[in-house]
Amino acid sequence: MPPAMISSPATAAAVRTFPDAQVVVEAVSKVFQSERSLLSRLRSRPGDRYVALEGVDLAIEKNTFVSIIGPSGCGKSTLLNLIAGLDRPSSGQILVDGERIKGPGPDRGIIFQNYALMPWLTALANVEYAVETACPKLSHGQARERARQYLSMVGLERSMHRYPKQMSGGMKQRVAIARALSINPTILLMDEPFGALDALTRAYLQEEVLRIWENNRITVVLITHSIEEALLLSDKIVLMSRGPAARIADVIDLPPLRPRQRSVIDQHPDFLAIKIRLEEHLLNETRAVEERT
Amino acid sequence: MPENRLSGPLAVAVSCLSILLALLIWQILATQGVLGKNFPGSVKTLEELVWWLSDPFFNNGPNDLGIGTNLLISLRRVLIGYGLAVVVAVPLGLVMGISRIADASLNPFVQLLKPVSPLAWLPIGLFIFRDSELTGVFVIFISSIWPTLINTAFGVSSINPDFLRVSRSLGASQLRTIHKVVLPAVMPNILAGMRISMGTAWLVIVAAEMLLGSGIGYFIWNEWNNLSLPNIFVAIIVIGFAGLLLDQVFGWLQKRFDYQL
Ligand SMILES: Nc1ncnc2c1ncn2[C@@H]1O[C@H](COP(=O)(O)OP(=O)(O)OP(=O)(O)O)[C@@H](O)[C@H]1O
Ligand SMILES: [Mg+2]
Repeated sequence: MPPAMISSPATAAAVRTFPDAQVVVEAVSKVFQSERSLLSRLRSRPGDRYVALEGVDLAIEKNTFVSIIGPSGCGKSTLLNLIAGLDRPSSGQILVDGERIKGPGPDRGIIFQNYALMPWLTALANVEYAVETACPKLSHGQARERARQYLSMVGLERSMHRYPKQMSGGMKQRVAIARALSINPTILLMDEPFGALDALTRAYLQEEVLRIWENNRITVVLITHSIEEALLLSDKIVLMSRGPAARIADVIDLPPLRPRQRSVIDQHPDFLAIKIRLEEHLLNETRAVEERT
Repeated sequence: MPENRLSGPLAVAVSCLSILLALLIWQILATQGVLGKNFPGSVKTLEELVWWLSDPFFNNGPNDLGIGTNLLISLRRVLIGYGLAVVVAVPLGLVMGISRIADASLNPFVQLLKPVSPLAWLPIGLFIFRDSELTGVFVIFISSIWPTLINTAFGVSSINPDFLRVSRSLGASQLRTIHKVVLPAVMPNILAGMRISMGTAWLVIVAAEMLLGSGIGYFIWNEWNNLSLPNIFVAIIVIGFAGLLLDQVFGWLQKRFDYQL
């Protein structure tokens, strides 16, 4: 709970408060302004405003695996996009390594929910595009070699000349993982990366991600709505409240049990207790959302 | 429905049969005088076609050119005018798709000028250029610019935003994103637009040339003055085949570049 309670707006203060934090989200709000037609702008009618996030405070320590979980539509993707620098907060600030972020950067690799592979490029070319863009100093051959290496890491050495349309959902997501990691990010941001996959593929990929992460522990922020996924993968689970004006409801530290077997989640008493807590929270929030409408 | 379509030799056989049938009906109608006195039948027309095709490139002065020569003149005008149109339309379409300001400032012109018949530009072309060749190219340019422009702009505005986000998140410059992401992503739209533009250009050139003094359109006008209907049919057949071939080239290109297939 404590890390979610910062109020000081100053950068220096935030860094002092969280000396280990790599990502600091400080008093961040995000308001979406719906587009107004020319006419209503001339009449100076206000457009529709939607307050997605309000006063979100969060500190993420270096090399930890953090999951963000919350009811559907609460603003998880919004928060991730802000950390990624793809979108700007309406107020508040986000610091990465003590510096206020101004936009996206190759220090943060992103995995999107629907793979977002470019369909006109092969798997190899997709990863190569990322490497060449993020590391323009590499020669063409070096970039290609790096791309191959990361595709092999996710087990795609024999399918790297395939186009996305020739690959299954799981393979596409593995390419996306390879692409995000190929630029050597210090932070990996994932937005429901396994949401669109069938249960078996999902379980397999969760273990792949875990294996890769155990080999090279970078900071990971994972958006998910699967409690089990969060329990299996994370060091820390961040619970968000429902929107509008969603905030951080709770931050739960998980027992430092690694490597973690799937069965642990159902047997270990601590995990079980956390699981029940998460279920209760999500159920309450979802009920509140459903009963409001 | 497509699954039910005939294919292979059977389809070819049916097509040939239907063409033969049409030629037969044409011949009967013509010989019966249903279409007026002296209306050429299909036999006469085919005889003329063979004659014109046996020596397509002769040149006996401006009013007596081989049909191939005329066709090449028309093709040259179309390719120059159309090429210029594409060179202008694709970058302009990209800009319109990317920048809202460009879109808002150019859209009124596009909407206003698009529905105007290309032939309305003929007198203006003639006045400006005082030259039939340039006027032809100009009319083709102005009539074939719109479909490519509109398709390109639409393609850019309907690009999957995730592709752009990926590129941006990697720190790609705007120029690199346009070159490596936007352009390949809208390639199918560009080609679809270019295909429609080519169709329009080929339609327009025939009409425009009737007033210009050479080319396949002028050939038709000339044969009308000679009251030689069979030759006009010959020209129609040649124009049709040339248009078909041009369209096929784009069909092939579209298949080649359509990553969604
Ligand atoms: N560009 C936008 N303009 C207006 N409203 C938006 C915009 N993007 C998101 N929203 C709204 O903000 C809220 C949060 O959206 P967001 O996508 O972040 O939720 P989420 O938690 O990721 O949902 P999900 O579980 O469905 O992925 C939603 O109510 C959504 O309608
Ligand atoms: Mg989301």
